[in-house]
Amino acid sequence: MKCRRCSELAQVRLPSHHTGFCASCFETYFLRQVERGIHEHKQFSKEDRLLLAVSGGKDSLGLLLALSKLEYDVTALHIDLGIPVSSQSARSTVEAYCAAHSIKLHVLETTEKGLPIPEVKKRVNRPICSVCGKIKRHWFNRFAYENGYNVLATGHNLDDEVARLFANTLRWDQAYLAGQGPVSPAEGRFVRKVKPLCRLTEYETAVWCFLNGIEHVLAACPYSAGASFTGHKKLLADLEERSPGMKMQFYEHFLQRGKPAFQAIRAEAPPLNECARCGYPSSMEVCGVCRIKEQLEA
Amino acid sequence: MVRVLIESTGEQREFRALKSVTQLLNRLGLKSTEVLVIRGRELLTPDRMIGHEGDIRIRHVVSRG
Ligand code: SF4
Ligand SMILES: [Zn+2]
Ligand SMILES: [Zn+2]
Repeated sequence: MKCRRCSELAQVRLPSHHTGFCASCFETYFLRQVERGIHEHKQFSKEDRLLLAVSGGKDSLGLLLALSKLEYDVTALHIDLGIPVSSQSARSTVEAYCAAHSIKLHVLETTEKGLPIPEVKKRVNRPICSVCGKIKRHWFNRFAYENGYNVLATGHNLDDEVARLFANTLRWDQAYLAGQGPVSPAEGRFVRKVKPLCRLTEYETAVWCFLNGIEHVLAACPYSAGASFTGHKKLLADLEERSPGMKMQFYEHFLQRGKPAFQAIRAEAPPLNECARCGYPSSMEVCGVCRIKEQLEA
Repeated sequence: MVRVLIESTGEQREFRALKSVTQLLNRLGLKSTEVLVIRGRELLTPDRMIGHEGDIRIRHVVSRG
């Protein structure tokens, strides 16, 4: 197979675009798709102060590299969860990567905030990943807000978004369907949230990382019992194989035709409160993260 | 021999000969967009020939955590 742009031998085949690319043309393609996702959805511009949540996994490191190649003013934030082995491994990967590429990095330790994850797991009687996710989202947003970043980016890709959309649709979850998408506008103490990889699949992101030498394999979190939505992703991959381009279509049509309808339904929903303890938005009087903290302190 | 390493499990497979990457993927029951097929510093598209020897790595693209 030959590269569509330069006719050299292709290294990557993209059935959803009926095309293939050599390594250097794939680089051009990938960066263009990132830019297009950012512009199409008005995610952010070069004037914004951008904070990127970096876990140490390939998606977030790959995105960090793409944003710095595209010359955005991006700073990385890594959250150290205090989990033996896996947190150290993730943190040192991120630190080494940012040092090597001269990227500004902040590290926030949940232990310092009274929330070491192993302790949380012992004390909270709920699936740890949902609690851990809540804590990470809270602190990513809070760090951005308190430090003057107006946009918070994450490495979610098209496959993550489509799997989430599929799950939300199966439950016809009106609130989530009204809010899902590549941009969540700022509101009160919520900074704007964006997903610059919304046009790129897991496969394309993995190719990008491979071609750019991002190969570090992290020690798995001892609490991970399989990534979220793995089952849905399998189903969707089968559909995509039968009709290439289906994932992108499902997502884009949702954004154009589905989301506005759910937003209209939710327009009457009561606005969020401010948490009585930390002041960050919450549907309850005290937010989930402050309640977990109280449980740990009790 | 064509030696194939499945990175996610560490499993090693050997094949006497493989016509193409597509044949390898079929043998392993994988879709072409589910894994990277790596030979040295190069990625192989499904139509590439493999032959009787070589070292190939299979890397799953699904991200963890
Ligand atoms: S696997 Fe679960 S507990 Fe471990 S870091 Fe991820 S969300 Fe947190
Ligand atoms: Zn080319
Ligand atoms: Zn709170």
